[in-house]
Amino acid sequence: MSAGLPRKKDTIEIVRRGLKKRHAAARRFKFTGVAAVGMSLFFLSLLFVSIFSKGYSAFRQTYVHLDVSIDPEILGVGAHPDMNALANGDYGGLRKAALRTMFPEVKKRREKRALYQLVSSGADYQLRDAVMADPALIGTTLSLWVPADDDVDMLIKGHIRRELPEDDRRLKDYQIAWIDRLVAAGRIENRFNTILFTAGDSRDPEQAGILGALVGSLFTMLVTLSLSFPIGIAAAIYLEEFAPRNRWSDFIEVNINNLAAVPSIVFGLLGLVIFLTYFDLPRSAPLVGGLVLTLMTLPTIIIASRAALASVPPSIREAALGIGASPMQTLLFHVLPLALPGVLTGTIIGMARALGETAPLLMIGMVAFIVDIPTGIFDPSTVLPVQIYLWADSPERGFVERTSAAIMVLLIFLIVMNALAVILRKSFERRW
Amino acid sequence: MMSLDSLLPETGSIDNKTDHKTVAPSFKTVGEFKLKDPRISCQNIVVRYGEKLAINGLSLDIGRNEVLAMIGPSGCGKSTFLRCINRMNDTIEGCRVTGKIMMDGQDINSPEIDTVPLRAQVGMVFQKPNPFPKSIRENVAFGPKIHGFVETKAELEEIVENSLKRAGLWKEVKDRLDQPGTSLSGGQQQRLCIARTIAVNPEVILMDEPCSALDPIATAIIEELIYELKKDYTICIVTHSMQQASRVSQRTAYFHLGELIEVGDTKQIFMNPKNRLTEDYITGRFG
Ligand SMILES: Nc1ncnc2c1ncn2[C@@H]1O[C@H](COP(=O)(O)OP(=O)(O)OP(=O)(O)O)[C@@H](O)[C@H]1O
Ligand SMILES: [Mg+2]
Repeated sequence: MSAGLPRKKDTIEIVRRGLKKRHAAARRFKFTGVAAVGMSLFFLSLLFVSIFSKGYSAFRQTYVHLDVSIDPEILGVGAHPDMNALANGDYGGLRKAALRTMFPEVKKRREKRALYQLVSSGADYQLRDAVMADPALIGTTLSLWVPADDDVDMLIKGHIRRELPEDDRRLKDYQIAWIDRLVAAGRIENRFNTILFTAGDSRDPEQAGILGALVGSLFTMLVTLSLSFPIGIAAAIYLEEFAPRNRWSDFIEVNINNLAAVPSIVFGLLGLVIFLTYFDLPRSAPLVGGLVLTLMTLPTIIIASRAALASVPPSIREAALGIGASPMQTLLFHVLPLALPGVLTGTIIGMARALGETAPLLMIGMVAFIVDIPTGIFDPSTVLPVQIYLWADSPERGFVERTSAAIMVLLIFLIVMNALAVILRKSFERRW
Repeated sequence: MMSLDSLLPETGSIDNKTDHKTVAPSFKTVGEFKLKDPRISCQNIVVRYGEKLAINGLSLDIGRNEVLAMIGPSGCGKSTFLRCINRMNDTIEGCRVTGKIMMDGQDINSPEIDTVPLRAQVGMVFQKPNPFPKSIRENVAFGPKIHGFVETKAELEEIVENSLKRAGLWKEVKDRLDQPGTSLSGGQQQRLCIARTIAVNPEVILMDEPCSALDPIATAIIEELIYELKKDYTICIVTHSMQQASRVSQRTAYFHLGELIEVGDTKQIFMNPKNRLTEDYITGRFG
């Protein structure tokens, strides 16, 4: 019997004495964990509540019902105009005339201008599209809902307060009186804001949409994913499975770890010099954005993939090699499938970071004001986080709610992307 | 009880001998380690894990169609030696093997040898069962598939069934071939690994304690399999069970601290060991 051990009947006593302390430690640890989770949930819900409460009104927009008589004279076209003439017609004139017919008593020039301001100039494009789609409309009266100006929208949504002195408001008293008359006549309505989801950026809040940035983000992410995923996996496989361990591989490993910590703006500068100046690729294009973000995401994917590969039990490799599988077959049939969940996790983290990245994209010109919706990876475009930055920086009141709406769209994009990756990962997950 | 190290003459602890490239065996093997027409002939094998010497100048021939049993205390280098024969030690970082391993007139320890055909020729059953985390069928079918043994699905099914039958597992798994191999019990997993090895139809089979996780019935099946395989194959089996060694093998080798102490006819080793260490181990005074 060893001398150090207590006598048998004492041992249980000693165990009992320490029991309380041990359980208390476990309870303390559990409590700390719950508190930490609770705290993060609290802040997360705070974030969501604040974004949602600011942004939900952006999903609705005030529309005005106009009866526009499509007078070829005002439009400046003949009886049988060609498409070119139709495209260049004076649709603003039609809109103004329609407003004048609604408020015939407005005569002064200044007041007329104030009257025209009630309706968004976006209505002109709506009219043009309608007439060009059906030239037979010329000479008739077209009745349609057009977006109101953002100031009207703000008044209807209660963001412009009537109690303020007239000089402090963006709407004059007589303008408010007209709006009240329109409301009374049922000619003003709050409808779902389709423009937000179908248009590109604009200087006018009521015409600004998120689609351009969304498509830009999508293209950028596609470029990033299709480059960084294969390159990252290939690099990780080579370094982990095939590369000899020597000073060079240590050097490469240290540098990859360093790259993962380099501030993203540095990658932006690198992209500016290499892709734009040296290779002369198009400015503001998702292609260049994707390339820059690939550089930024690669270290994350490589590090995560290497860790995933290293965690595959060596016994699996031995089993495959032991029956004569080549290193490549061992890798493809056994190691990679087991490492894939980890690889995908790394990719999700990398892509999520890339999606929210702003700074490096500013460097390569994706911050430009772009109205058109990009149709390919060479078109100038912007991305969601940059759009948020641009809108948050705009003075118009209407952009405040649109900023929050854009954040919501970004979050939904992120959630969809992550959900897809999680589903993919689940289907690969196996026990061993 | 007397210290075992003192029984090893001359050099004492083998761990100190790290500075020389080839180490003369500190101990002369008792018995016939050379054969007239060996299937595999190992000459002066030295294995190091980093600086640690695991096998110290070992020479041993493995005969045709024989079952060679390897016994010895834990950590004496049985697995390490076994893994030299199909070059599995290549996969361990820092492990260096020197010496000659002649098979079919070639030194299979030379770096030019392609390990893919070698390992198809020299199969291995590992100490710990290591089925692939795939279905039972895929576990067995993987080898024949990658080597291109089969053309049709039916042929593959036949190999799978035959291999599982020979490993004594068919009855238990024939209705659940699509379940993961990892869902089997430990003993079943080991038999699955044996089936996987014989599905490749190797000429030499290295078995590292194949029965350590098996019950007596499954052990009997494996021993029967070994007996049957012996007709066509050469088998090296590491075992901790003296009874098993005496049941299945013709020759027995006793390892001790990285050295081959004694090798000879199984009957002779168990009845009439010549070396003190062998005798102590066999009679249970050690190990
Ligand atoms: N991967 C490794 N790295 C370092 N040392 C190792 C490694 N594998 C084995 N060794 C060492 O080599 C020596 C021989 O090990 P080996 O596995 O061959 O023993 P064994 O005879 O098979 O023992 P057991 O009967 O317990 O399986 C031991 O001292 C062990 O510590
Ligand atoms: Mg062993």
